[in-house]
Amino acid sequence: MSHISGDVGTILQRWCDNASKWPDSVAIVHCRMGETPRSWTWGELIRTAKLYSAALTKNGIEKGQVCAIIARHNALLYPVYVACVFAGAIPAVLAYPNPRLHPDKFRDGLEGMGRRSGLDWILTERALEGALQPLLGSGRSTIRGLQFPFEGSEYVEGVGSNGQREAVHTACESDPLLLQHSSGTTGLQKPVVLSHRAVLEHVIEYGKFLGISPQDKVVSWLPLYHDMGLIAALHLPLALGIPTIQIDPFEWVLDPSLLLQAISANRATIAWLPNFAFSMMADKIREEDLENIALDSWRMVINCSEPVRYDDQEKFFRRFAPRGLRRDALSSCYAMAETTFAVTQTPPWLEPTTLAVDVRSLSKGQVRPAANGDAVRVCVSSGQPIPGCHIRIVDDECNGLGDQHVGEVLIKSATMFDGYRNYPEKTAAAMRDGWYLSGDYGFKHGNEYFIIGRKKDVVIIAGNNIYPEDLEAAIHGLAGVIPGRVVAFGEEDPQFGSERLSVVAETALTEEADRRKLRMEIIKAGMDIDLTITNVYLVPPRFLVKSSAGKPSRSANKERVLRLRDQSSMTTQSGEMG
Amino acid sequence: MISHELKTAILGALKLDDWELAESTVAAEVPGWDSLSHVNVVLAVEKQFGVRFSNVEVLRLTNVGELQRLVNSKLTKQK
Repeated sequence: MSHISGDVGTILQRWCDNASKWPDSVAIVHCRMGETPRSWTWGELIRTAKLYSAALTKNGIEKGQVCAIIARHNALLYPVYVACVFAGAIPAVLAYPNPRLHPDKFRDGLEGMGRRSGLDWILTERALEGALQPLLGSGRSTIRGLQFPFEGSEYVEGVGSNGQREAVHTACESDPLLLQHSSGTTGLQKPVVLSHRAVLEHVIEYGKFLGISPQDKVVSWLPLYHDMGLIAALHLPLALGIPTIQIDPFEWVLDPSLLLQAISANRATIAWLPNFAFSMMADKIREEDLENIALDSWRMVINCSEPVRYDDQEKFFRRFAPRGLRRDALSSCYAMAETTFAVTQTPPWLEPTTLAVDVRSLSKGQVRPAANGDAVRVCVSSGQPIPGCHIRIVDDECNGLGDQHVGEVLIKSATMFDGYRNYPEKTAAAMRDGWYLSGDYGFKHGNEYFIIGRKKDVVIIAGNNIYPEDLEAAIHGLAGVIPGRVVAFGEEDPQFGSERLSVVAETALTEEADRRKLRMEIIKAGMDIDLTITNVYLVPPRFLVKSSAGKPSRSANKERVLRLRDQSSMTTQSGEMG
Repeated sequence: MISHELKTAILGALKLDDWELAESTVAAEVPGWDSLSHVNVVLAVEKQFGVRFSNVEVLRLTNVGELQRLVNSKLTKQK
């Protein structure tokens, strides 16, 4: 199965080798708005990580235990992450709770995640101690304790040089390296386990495909709980020995020009971005923030983690070409945590191929060039399989389809995940004869693949996976909503460059004041689990169409509601229907 | 005291018909005001008052009252 013959080694050995070869070279630059960037040289990073590893071991963390890391953008995040690996533990970076997330929901989510993933420890900030402490005494939690390594040097006090010698555990290639969780806020997360070999082999092969050289520098504002942030923007540069410049995701979203400033200041060359970021940066950055910005060093701006939208890429290029952005720097990638990261990628220095196809044929599973008068969709290529990855496009019965036919994308990868942790039934459901069932729809054209939709109900908002079940569960119990008669789905928002969350709920309420109140209650229920609902469609009893399983069908009801909304003069901005 | 103009700019950016905004109101309490829509709110307020905020000023804001005071200080400097 492996693509690279012979020993690939472990990530741990790789990091230590890099520190020996380039002790004074910069490994990571940590940026905070209004502060001088903090650079970690390889020597410093590894020395500090060994110290923290010794402290983690001293504080009871053992080989094979899972350490959830929950922290804001913090310069110690990197050595603590590396330290977990040195200690033989399995790091799992989780999202820092948004203030709108109710503390009970935050704890419930962690408890559910813990039962599934077997979370042993939480490494976090003192600021979360109060919110997390109840987890320890609940009796339902697997969590053994909280540790606070991000508060300065107090955590490593008393750990001496003897400790450092014992701080690096041995590992073998097949040992689990890390755990990633799909999004979702209750118990629906699917924990993906990746081995040392999978991650190292993947980033080596992907790096070769990208033509990574010692002159490359990665810039990222992506959160490390996301596979694109963790694998592409942290593990890849660390394994290949090129610098990565890390921007705070919360600061970037306040000021998207930060990414361009970092590229210009560092002469950086590669960044991965979800599609919505192309749209947001093109629309929201002020012209005066672009003064003195030069983007000619940027050789790959890789659109990944969301369907690639042609209009957003074009808008982005037009906006930043005057600053030196090259057209052939535009790039795209199709990736998922289950295959470690990349499945397909467009080659460097080659703008993604586009195909203008007839929408009606596409909806019937056929790819036909658009002619005059046809409704047109411009599909953007996600490139060709990277070495070690193979793709099949199949119909509903898993029969292979030829070029220009739309079907589900099946993937076989040399760096496939080791299954969802403690979730054999989900692992079995996701695999067939060694092929991973992606749940995405796409087609092959020449040697390139185009991803055009999803079979699964998952909603992707700004690169994050949202499970409609989470939102539906939060709304089911609201007074005024008919129990079990709610569906949630994603609606395309071309202006945003991503999807928005919509809810359809059956209600018997008829008074406008009551219905307005109910819409607000539904929006608040979303806020409690940190989900922003954009449209609420209230519909009368027995409106929702059921699937063959007897539950309201998301896809059928989405189609029905949107069709009626588009036809109806009764539609309002807040989605009144009925 | 939150001015009518500030409230209008914020609610307009969030596409809300109405919502109570007090000095102590934080973004997380207002429907639709999340990290992704925050930049829209900031741009709408800047446009409404003809002022410009630095990114550090925006980063330091913790509630609507502070946003009102920041707007007021900018307007005072313009006079």
